[in-house]
Amino acid sequence: MASSHAKDSSFLGGRIPPEIESMSKNLKDVDQEIFRKILKAVVSALEGKDCREVMKAIAESSTIPQERLSYIIAGMYRVLSEAIRIPTSSLKQEAFKEDLRELRIPEDFITDFSSVVFGNRRAALEAATSQNDPHLPTIEDFKWRVDVAISTSSLARALQPSVLMQIKLSDGSFHRFEVPVSKFQELRYNVALILKEMNDLEKRSILKIQD
Amino acid sequence: MADAEAAKSLSGLLNGIAQKVYYNNSEITEELLKSELFPELPQDAFTALHDKMKGLIKSIATADMDHAQLEAFLTAQTRKQGSGGVNAEQAAALSRFWKSQRVRVRESLLSQSRWEPGLRGLSWRVDLQTAASRGDAAHSGPVALMELELGRAGQDSEFVCLEFDEARVNQMLKKMADIQESIDRIVHRT
Repeated sequence: MASSHAKDSSFLGGRIPPEIESMSKNLKDVDQEIFRKILKAVVSALEGKDCREVMKAIAESSTIPQERLSYIIAGMYRVLSEAIRIPTSSLKQEAFKEDLRELRIPEDFITDFSSVVFGNRRAALEAATSQNDPHLPTIEDFKWRVDVAISTSSLARALQPSVLMQIKLSDGSFHRFEVPVSKFQELRYNVALILKEMNDLEKRSILKIQD
Repeated sequence: MADAEAAKSLSGLLNGIAQKVYYNNSEITEELLKSELFPELPQDAFTALHDKMKGLIKSIATADMDHAQLEAFLTAQTRKQGSGGVNAEQAAALSRFWKSQRVRVRESLLSQSRWEPGLRGLSWRVDLQTAASRGDAAHSGPVALMELELGRAGQDSEFVCLEFDEARVNQMLKKMADIQESIDRIVHRT
């Protein structure tokens, strides 16, 4: 534990991640203007945006050698993603600042970090990061058609309605299937039931997990 | 007594034909029906009877006859002269058979003209996500997981798993209401 300055209660855990240690060493003498530019780019990366162009512009315009810059960016990304993992009810702003001070990060930078983690972008960041959780595919597009079979090779007068559904999923796959009316009623009933269950769940605050 | 036996054999034959032709029961064969139901009958006579009944059922099933249509059809058949016609017992057996099997036969015939995979079943679950590797998710709402069982006739099912948040379930339900409305428009008109 000799290499670590952290207390057990640090939000980074018992051992400081190597990216963050290298970042704190490399952040010395970095101009705050550049720091803020990088911070902005890192935040947009966390939000899932493409920030390659911005990063390239920063690398070209700044005097910091590329290697140092990459240590800084990697560390900042890690600091923010670790901090956002922890709900604000568990990680207080003061504790966060204190943990960063122990890493010898300049005070001005700590303030900037803190304004990202505890500021008004927090909700957007949480929403964006939750997009990366493992998910089952969702329905991206849903098309339907109601047909009535008038006559078929087996039945002279079928006159049977059926629903043809086509769904496009978020994983890019398509599924097309026919739903006889009786099955359609079952499907509709179950979708309504799911919605009711979800509404009930939100009303029942006992299930809201507190820490 | 002999009449009752004959009527029973005839019903057995009609149901056997339905099993074979409409319900895909490959265990029932013409030979089996002959040996179980009409062991005394010469082969020629049995084949003629079997083919006649099969043809009659086909006519009745293809037209999906209702009660009145069936009675008219059978009356016409009994008036027919020679071997093409049916006797009163056969007409009665056909009438009984159709009364009990009409819905099932129709369903089987309808499925013969379905080529897209059909929805066979669905199961679902509502979860509350509590945490994830990238962050605490206690604030996110409930998640519905749904599994659709799809399959073509005679083939194994394929399962499609989906995830919905509340807004998506709501959207889906609205679309279901549209579909229902559109079905109702057709069904009420006919």
